[in-house]
Amino acid sequence: MNSDVQQIYKIKTTDKETLLKWYHLLRLGRSLDDRAPNYLKQAIGWSYHAPAAGHDAIQLAIGQVFDRTKDHLFPYYRDLQTCVSAGLTPEEIIYNGISKDTDVAGGGRHMSNHFAKPEWNIHNVSSCTGNHTLHAAGIARAIKTYESKGVAISSQGESSVSEGYVYEAINGASKEQLPVVFVFQDNGYGISVPKKDQQANRKVAKNFEGLKNLRILYCNGKDVFDSMNTMTEAVKWAEENQKPVIVHANCVRIHSHSNSDRHELYRDNAELNYVQEYDPIAKYRRLLVRYDRATEDELTAIDEQVKAEVKAAHKAGMKAPDPKPESVHDFVYAPAYQPQKFPDGLHSETSEPKKLIEGLNGTLKEEFRRNPDTYIWGQDMANKDKGGIFNVSKGMQQEFGHKRVFNGPIAEDYIMGTANGMSRFNKDIRIVVEGAEFADYFWPAMEQFVETTHEYWRTKGQFSPNITVRLASGGYIGGGLYHSQNIEGALSTLPGVRIVYPSYADDAAGLLRTSLRSEGMTLFLEPKALYNSPKAATPIPEEFEVPFGKARIRREGADLTIVTYGNTTHMCVDVAEEISKEGLAEIEVIDLRTLVPLDQETIIESIKKTSRVLVVHEDKVFGGFGGEVAATISDIAFKYLDAPIKRVGSEFTPVGFNRILEKAILPDTEKIAKAARELLAF
Amino acid sequence: MNKIGLFYSFNTVKTKQQVNKIKKSLGEDNIEEKNVEEITQEEFNKYKNYILAIPTWFDGELPNYWDEFLPAIEDDSFKGKTFALFGGGDQKGYPENFVDGLGLMADFIEKRGGKIVGLTSTEGYQFESSKAQRGDKFVGLALDIENQAALTEERVSKWVEQLKKEFK
Repeated sequence: MNSDVQQIYKIKTTDKETLLKWYHLLRLGRSLDDRAPNYLKQAIGWSYHAPAAGHDAIQLAIGQVFDRTKDHLFPYYRDLQTCVSAGLTPEEIIYNGISKDTDVAGGGRHMSNHFAKPEWNIHNVSSCTGNHTLHAAGIARAIKTYESKGVAISSQGESSVSEGYVYEAINGASKEQLPVVFVFQDNGYGISVPKKDQQANRKVAKNFEGLKNLRILYCNGKDVFDSMNTMTEAVKWAEENQKPVIVHANCVRIHSHSNSDRHELYRDNAELNYVQEYDPIAKYRRLLVRYDRATEDELTAIDEQVKAEVKAAHKAGMKAPDPKPESVHDFVYAPAYQPQKFPDGLHSETSEPKKLIEGLNGTLKEEFRRNPDTYIWGQDMANKDKGGIFNVSKGMQQEFGHKRVFNGPIAEDYIMGTANGMSRFNKDIRIVVEGAEFADYFWPAMEQFVETTHEYWRTKGQFSPNITVRLASGGYIGGGLYHSQNIEGALSTLPGVRIVYPSYADDAAGLLRTSLRSEGMTLFLEPKALYNSPKAATPIPEEFEVPFGKARIRREGADLTIVTYGNTTHMCVDVAEEISKEGLAEIEVIDLRTLVPLDQETIIESIKKTSRVLVVHEDKVFGGFGGEVAATISDIAFKYLDAPIKRVGSEFTPVGFNRILEKAILPDTEKIAKAARELLAF
Repeated sequence: MNKIGLFYSFNTVKTKQQVNKIKKSLGEDNIEEKNVEEITQEEFNKYKNYILAIPTWFDGELPNYWDEFLPAIEDDSFKGKTFALFGGGDQKGYPENFVDGLGLMADFIEKRGGKIVGLTSTEGYQFESSKAQRGDKFVGLALDIENQAALTEERVSKWVEQLKKEFK
């Protein structure tokens, strides 16, 4: 009994049709849940199964209050019953369980027991449990921004509330007053870890009682009526008040955490018995009979109907096609915008040169004028005349307003995760985030960044996060650790994100325009040392565009190819000029502009001409992106080489703050010239 | 004193032990035992005086057998009826919800006009919060076999003596 909420649903007064529908759903969910381990035993699939038994009542309620015409549901990996209640068919549950191509969550690409149906706003979420709280907050921001009906419902176990990002999500929803219902399904354990090892309060929702604009409801998640009444109130209140609610539902876990866990190793017999006694479905059935709402015969008939449905679904599952191995490269990248006016990303503009920062600021404003569904947020980036730590977004809030241009909290994961969430609302939405004040502060957002790289592939193309992540990157400013480092070497290991790193104002403008018009995520790395540098200033044609994966030859030559990007492009051009003046050689400098996808063609064509190649970047040589470039050249162009591939980059150390240390660590013209001369002499 | 209806689950062990003590102290002739798991609305309503055994389950819940019975009497009036509640809890294991079940049941009864007697002092217990707490009193007798078994006998005896005065 929850005295906080209206008692709409009661055993004696709820109409019989509804009561029997619920019984059918509960039995159907439980039957599928009970059957799941058999598929593993028979080596058919479902190798990950987190049983829902014991959570049945709250999950029934989540599914019943979810309205797919307006709400967004983020179920977690134990939410089988939630998804059945929300309308997934037994076939759809089994297709996911045994990872068939027909799996509506994503064609067997994601782990089993991760049920979803993006078409119905039942979102495909991570195994990194609870990180969808940020996505729920993000989509709720869109619901609020677009004054749409509905709420976001996020569901998770109580142990995953320990994750820092959950606090970021709930704090953000409280601050922004977002219509999200966060459901904590509390079964007392995080795998084998009891909740006393997780938090001081036994009911973790109590940890949030100090937050403003947040309502917290506690309910018995094992009781159908308490769960239905509480979830009904939660959704209604969140939508009417445009504020978040936490529903803390007491459940029991009747079985082990999953099929790789053995709960008898850490639960005594008394506990194993009492969790059985708490079975929500048994209780519901007793109530139906006790209060003459259904006869034993009626309920038995439903049990038989469920058996037949599950049997038929099993047969359909066994006949369903498996995913094809040749499909693995489908949906890694969402469609990129194909430049129309400047298909190669080249121009012959002769107007007054603009600084790189002007190119970025101007392009952002132009694209924001063009597309009303564009948004930008980040840290320290929208307060009166200040527009970002480097003022790249200067003037944007004044022109486009606080709904489209705003500060995020000092919480990088929230900045990134809510971008992922908000972009789910509408395919027209394009989001730019300043992921962190400086690129090497981006690491706290890494789990959301990784998550976002998965989305398009994992959903088999059903959801593309249309996000441009802007980061001020690199050194030569005496910034030291967290202000002068490069992170692209690490991030380029992740499929699903395009990475661009311009060196000049025109390319910065053109690539940013393409990013903002493309689907999918682009990591936009900005060499902050060049923001105001005259060296990087160029004429920028109106509506300039640069396609992804198209390098630019910044200086032609026939004796040596230098492949580079970012800050070091300018150093390489300087070295080439110096060596040319000496009459020693003509060096071709390729500015990659885009790291992923890599323009292999331009590199190989140049090497065919020069037979020598030097790869230069600011990031570390060891583990840097240049290693991938060098290996690619070795693989496909070894026959054109007359000398070994050389690389120049940072030492394998952090970047020191003292200028003497910085100089010793980062590449410069001296180091590049030395390597070039060695190669030319080989 | 009117006959007392003593309602508890006959399938319990610890509660049954306390029931036996109460029966002995109050005198078996004054009491009729009823199994909550089987009673009907009519059987419940025929008394003026009640003792209800309400152990708290889990993080502050009523046992299923009470939860499932309450809808039967939720539309009834308890005006003129007197209730005494007792039940077990675990103040160390569940300090945030110690004997919440007593509080939940007291609320249910009072909303329907019933009178609660047999309130006891919270002194001697250590817990963080309880729905059964009203000022410095519990709305019944709180027992903690897990942590204070040695105090149970005396607590029951004192409570029964109190009930003899408070029941009419």
